[in-house]
Amino acid sequence: MGKFGMFVLAAGLLALPAGAAAQYAGGDVKDGGSISGTVKFKGTAPAPKKLDINKDKEVCGKTPKVDQSLVVKDGNLANAVVMITDIKKGKKVETKKVVLDQEGCEYKPHVLAFPAGSTVEIRNPDGILHNVHSYSKVNTPFNLAQPKFKKTMDVKIEKPEAIEVKCDVHGWMQGWLVAAPNPYFAVTDTSGNFKLTDVPPGTYNVEVWHEKLGKINQKVTVKAKEDAKVNFEMAGK
Amino acid sequence: MAERGIDPSEEKKSYGSVFLIGSALLVAMTLWAFWDDNITRRPWKGFQRQFFRLDYDKAKAAYDEENKKLQADPNYQELSKKLADARASLNGGPLGDKLETLEEQEERADIRFKELDQEVKFIKSELEEAWYEHDHAVQQRRDARPYLEHIRELEKEQAQLEPKLEAARAERDRLRAEIKKIHASAKEIEAELAKLAAERDKWQRVMDNVTINLGPLSMYKIPKIQQVVMDEFDRNRFDQPIARVDRCQTCHIAINRAGFEDAPQPFRTHPRREVLLADNAHPPEKFGCTGCHEGQGVAVNSVAQAHGEVHLWEYPLLRGAKVQSSCTSCHLDVQKLEDAPLLAEGQRLFEQVGCTGCHLVQGYENIPKVGPSLRRISAKLDPSWMVRWIENPHKFRPRTRMPNFEFKQEEALAIAAYLWSLSKDDGEAWLQNHPMPAGFRQGNGADSARGKKLVESIGCKGCHGFTEGEFSTPLGKNKDLVPNLKDIGAKTNARWLYHWIKNPRDFSPETKMPSLRLTDDEAAAITSYLMTLGSKGEPIQGIEEKLADANNIKRGEALVRKYGCFGCHDIEGMEKESRIGVELTTFGSKTLEELFFGNRTDIKRTWDDWTFNKIKTPRIYATERVEQIMPQFNLADEDIHALRVVLGGFRERKVGQRYLAKRDDRVVDVVEGRRLMQQYNCVGCHEIENRGGFVKKYYENPASAPPPLNGEGEKVQSDWLFSFLKAPFPLRPWLEIRMPTFGFSDEHANQLVRYFNGLSKVEIPFAHFDEKSVPRENLEAARILVSPEYFNCYSCHQQGDKKPEGPQEGWAPDLTLARERLKPDWIIKWLRDPQKVQPGTKMPSFFPGGPDNILGGKDDKQIEALRDYLMALGDGAGRPPQAPLAPGKPRLAGR
Repeated sequence: MGKFGMFVLAAGLLALPAGAAAQYAGGDVKDGGSISGTVKFKGTAPAPKKLDINKDKEVCGKTPKVDQSLVVKDGNLANAVVMITDIKKGKKVETKKVVLDQEGCEYKPHVLAFPAGSTVEIRNPDGILHNVHSYSKVNTPFNLAQPKFKKTMDVKIEKPEAIEVKCDVHGWMQGWLVAAPNPYFAVTDTSGNFKLTDVPPGTYNVEVWHEKLGKINQKVTVKAKEDAKVNFEMAGK
Repeated sequence: MAERGIDPSEEKKSYGSVFLIGSALLVAMTLWAFWDDNITRRPWKGFQRQFFRLDYDKAKAAYDEENKKLQADPNYQELSKKLADARASLNGGPLGDKLETLEEQEERADIRFKELDQEVKFIKSELEEAWYEHDHAVQQRRDARPYLEHIRELEKEQAQLEPKLEAARAERDRLRAEIKKIHASAKEIEAELAKLAAERDKWQRVMDNVTINLGPLSMYKIPKIQQVVMDEFDRNRFDQPIARVDRCQTCHIAINRAGFEDAPQPFRTHPRREVLLADNAHPPEKFGCTGCHEGQGVAVNSVAQAHGEVHLWEYPLLRGAKVQSSCTSCHLDVQKLEDAPLLAEGQRLFEQVGCTGCHLVQGYENIPKVGPSLRRISAKLDPSWMVRWIENPHKFRPRTRMPNFEFKQEEALAIAAYLWSLSKDDGEAWLQNHPMPAGFRQGNGADSARGKKLVESIGCKGCHGFTEGEFSTPLGKNKDLVPNLKDIGAKTNARWLYHWIKNPRDFSPETKMPSLRLTDDEAAAITSYLMTLGSKGEPIQGIEEKLADANNIKRGEALVRKYGCFGCHDIEGMEKESRIGVELTTFGSKTLEELFFGNRTDIKRTWDDWTFNKIKTPRIYATERVEQIMPQFNLADEDIHALRVVLGGFRERKVGQRYLAKRDDRVVDVVEGRRLMQQYNCVGCHEIENRGGFVKKYYENPASAPPPLNGEGEKVQSDWLFSFLKAPFPLRPWLEIRMPTFGFSDEHANQLVRYFNGLSKVEIPFAHFDEKSVPRENLEAARILVSPEYFNCYSCHQQGDKKPEGPQEGWAPDLTLARERLKPDWIIKWLRDPQKVQPGTKMPSFFPGGPDNILGGKDDKQIEALRDYLMALGDGAGRPPQAPLAPGKPRLAGR
């Protein structure tokens, strides 16, 4: 019995965006350009809500926590995922292991993006019971217990999808696993910045996804060895 | 001289032309007869030929395709080349020569062997003869010695020959083996090639199947009638079993063959063939086609004849969804049939809209009245509202099940007067005993707001809607199973409402409305809220006097009798009245002659059209002389279609035993239990048989909705379920919604337990778990497993009075209940994969992946240990309190 159970998630029934992954072909990119810019939040963001740490306080309540579902700093939106949705050919897909940490009863990073087919290593350094409950529709949903003795466990996400994960033991814990259909994706940092590199010249549809604000799209033209600057602005619903 | 009586001129007359014409006619007639017999009356031959061509061409195309692929396959090319080489080397060269020599030698050796063999056989039969002579002589007491000498001689000869024979056999076999060895390599390659070409050669067989090959000549097969005889399928007028003969597959030749899903009719594959025509369902060689589809099975002389769409044939082909009617002939449990959704929907409608109130149908005799009891009605209703309601209920509530009798206002008034007079004394007495509580504040905003919150959280919405168009369990397209309460204030008063919601059975012992175990405070708040919904209409002038008028009362009674109000409502003094409508048990077999079209000329003369229009506009066939009283239900067309499917299944038909679907006790339990379950609207809150849980739509988090009950029979112990149904208690502390107390009778509670057991195919409802035989080792291991160091079960689960940390929403059921509640085998299944048993559950999977250092790291052993631990947990007297929630508990009072 392996300590680190590997749960391969079988194909979900709703394989809608999954076709995208099948269509994408990776290879070498010569004279690639890049897309970079900033995602802004339109209007004034509400003050982040303080989370009520009502369980396992000695482990989870060491530092005060705020709701990460809408993080705006100086008008810049963090935790938005920027990706090219309609690219067919480009750089190789590297499905390396990515890490989702639950240190201090909080998902770190709050939004974890990776190419579909990657394995997520879920860490539990807290020494208490966590469970990772996925609310996926395309991939098979999972709800895995991660007791104290299980420091890490691996989950493979086969198909492109933005999956919300929650912990039923600690009601406030919430985060996102975003499996992208191709290697052109980025999560905005606290200044709202992102950069997509090695993009073959061409015109693409660039999408910005945010858990609370939904999606917006924009056409972007990339020229060889040049950086295409593009800014997005998302408004509250 | 002319002979007498003979006319020479007559003799000389030639009849040649007459004979010529006669024979020409005869020939023509004969040809025509052949033509008619073989062509005109046998259109099926044409269909079959057409199909052979279709089948052949399709197979040929597929063959060519596969062949092309194969030819391009380097593997195949290489093997083919190898085979050709091997064959060539056999036909010439040194190997060929060797083979030739060997074959000649083998032939000679074989001849030699056969000659010797023959000789031995002769000797053996001579020996037989000699022994006979010898025995004969002994029995006749003659001298047997000469015979014995002859025998010895023969035996000697045989002994000499036998080694020669063996040598000859060995020589022949050796030569044969050598020849085989030379051929072996080619044979192996052939086998490999055949494997590669299997996909292609499959199509070759299909082509061979529809053709006859005579040497170089090839033609399509000769068409043949395809016939199925269904022994004892029908019964004749003398109730004797008779066979039914189907020839449908003569034209529908590919009905049970995959690959013709898009072919033109009659060659199309049956939809959902792999399920519907499977061996465990309806294999056509057993069930034929007309068993379900009707039509004239034996007829093959024209399409219209075969489909029975001709004058006087009583069972024309059931086209489209109408075929679902036939399921009823053999299936008792039609609701579980995945492929008959319209029938299932129609049956629910038929049972729940109230058809059985007026119409008797075998198998539906015991459906309870669908309307509320009208005893004590005066305590409940606003009298003016009542009159308007009787006049046309759809005006107030278009989605109500109550039909519109199109009464005039004075008729409605008369009926109201009669019902009022019956219930007045009783109603007043009831009111006297049920005073308005002191703390009730009509129109208090805070109370109403609290009431609204309660209504939205504790489960009222599992049945009732509170705004326009809101409903939980659908009843067809545009009916509500349970009243929408958006205008409830117009209908009733706060005093009645308060006591009704607190304890519905106190007012009406037969009601299906359950108690949500409301505290006085909660009931008052909800009443306050409900009374804000809708307002009283203008009172009818002098309503009190009109209701008390003796003439009105008398007229009302006559109207109630005529229109059969007691079919749906419990009315004092009319408990024993029988149904006023016609019996519908054999309605589906009614012929056109039996259906009364009145003077309507605009309605097509078919059973379908008659029935559709009857349900759509029930009094459509009335004439000046013939009155019709069936009321207007305002059903959607889709619902009428569904009902028609059910009605079509009400047939006078006794299908032979061997064709019937299972209808043992378990099936009866399921059918009856489901009916009861639907009457109590369990599916409003719970998903059962993968249908229902309609209240879920109000919850963002599925974990806050009532639990699905798929597989409940497998999960819980029967006696626990029985007592829980009788007296529910909060089992899941995180739910705001409450399992109501229905006040089931023992009979109903038992029936529901049998239903869940039947669904889960539980063979043995009661099982004993001997906790004394649990190994100590298991209990000790499990105690470690549940501890915070490992699975930390009590992080969420309650353990008796020990509550988990954190908010109630995060809690999970009390584990001390398991021994009373859960089946030991289910616990194992659950621990192995909770998501599989109940998709979306908050319970995470701990396995695979149990700790290595407990019970040898074996998952199965750990799961078993946990099961043992749970079954031994608590003191057994841990049956939880059965009292309703105590008032003043912070969770409930705070809302």
